[in-house]
Amino acid sequence: MMPDTVPPNALMQTLYDSTIGTTIRESATLFPWIESVHVLMITAVVGTIAIVDLRLIGVASHRRGARQLIVDMLPFTWVAFLLALISGTLLFLSNATGYYQSMPFRFKLLTILIAGINMAIFHMTAYRKIGDWDDRLPTPRAAKIAGFSSLTLWLVIVFLGRWIGYSYPLA
Amino acid sequence: MSVAKFANHLYGTPLSTAIRETSWIIPGVQSIHIIAIAGVVGAAIVMDLRLAGVLATDEAPRAVVKRHLPWMWSSLALLLASGFVLGLGEPYRVLMNPVFWAKMALVLTGFVLTLLFRYPILHPDYRIEHARAAALVKPLAWASLAIWVAVVFCGRWIAYYQ
Repeated sequence: MMPDTVPPNALMQTLYDSTIGTTIRESATLFPWIESVHVLMITAVVGTIAIVDLRLIGVASHRRGARQLIVDMLPFTWVAFLLALISGTLLFLSNATGYYQSMPFRFKLLTILIAGINMAIFHMTAYRKIGDWDDRLPTPRAAKIAGFSSLTLWLVIVFLGRWIGYSYPLA
Repeated sequence: MSVAKFANHLYGTPLSTAIRETSWIIPGVQSIHIIAIAGVVGAAIVMDLRLAGVLATDEAPRAVVKRHLPWMWSSLALLLASGFVLGLGEPYRVLMNPVFWAKMALVLTGFVLTLLFRYPILHPDYRIEHARAAALVKPLAWASLAIWVAVVFCGRWIAYYQ
């Protein structure tokens, strides 16, 4: 059964027709290379976030202090996320009209937004009082919830990303 | 039996067919494969960058390796298991593909390097300055990271070299 198609969008068509988008789309190798960078960056984001999230949940890492662990890992997470964003944008441009119609793609972007909001909430609340629970286990409930939800959201993002290529219209 | 004949035989088995024809199995198992890669990459980033002197230099190398090495082994095991299912479902895609075999060679290299150069660090008397191959510690740490990066690139390119 065909899902209800999204009506064509002029902006998406313009992006699709852009020089960058067209170059990537028509090259035999550019898309695979950019996509490889994208996958690598995603694994770096998820891998480094998982280390922090597990510590928030209460699984010990290589240092006692949660704050210093976050300080250790976050720069890598940010750089990886930025590169994932850039590579993802390039991939998007190569088929803006197609991805625009993809439900998994739309949900993936939404879930990334939710994950970002989740992290922001953590940084504005439990993280402010990190001095109280920095080097002690078990962690407070707010930290556990933040860690668990963050990890879950990022795992969902991986699944949604994979599903883009296996669903309409990219399949 | 040649590789091509074996791939052909596998392709015809009920298990291979079931994996291939059940819509959610391959993307689902690929997602698990990617998550396990994240496990390897995360563990590799922390351990290799510690040994390269870039990250967490206030923590002893032994403490860092002791904490993250088990995650690397578990992730590699999950990669093997999920990879096996994927290969079983699409035997031509893997067995007849030089990019896949290049990836396996790199994985084996990464695995052996990890085995040889991470276990000695766990010894209580290990001191990085007095390590037998002290001069090699940093370059090998960067090489280790490079190998895992190359594995990821090969992994994606399998799909494009058909």
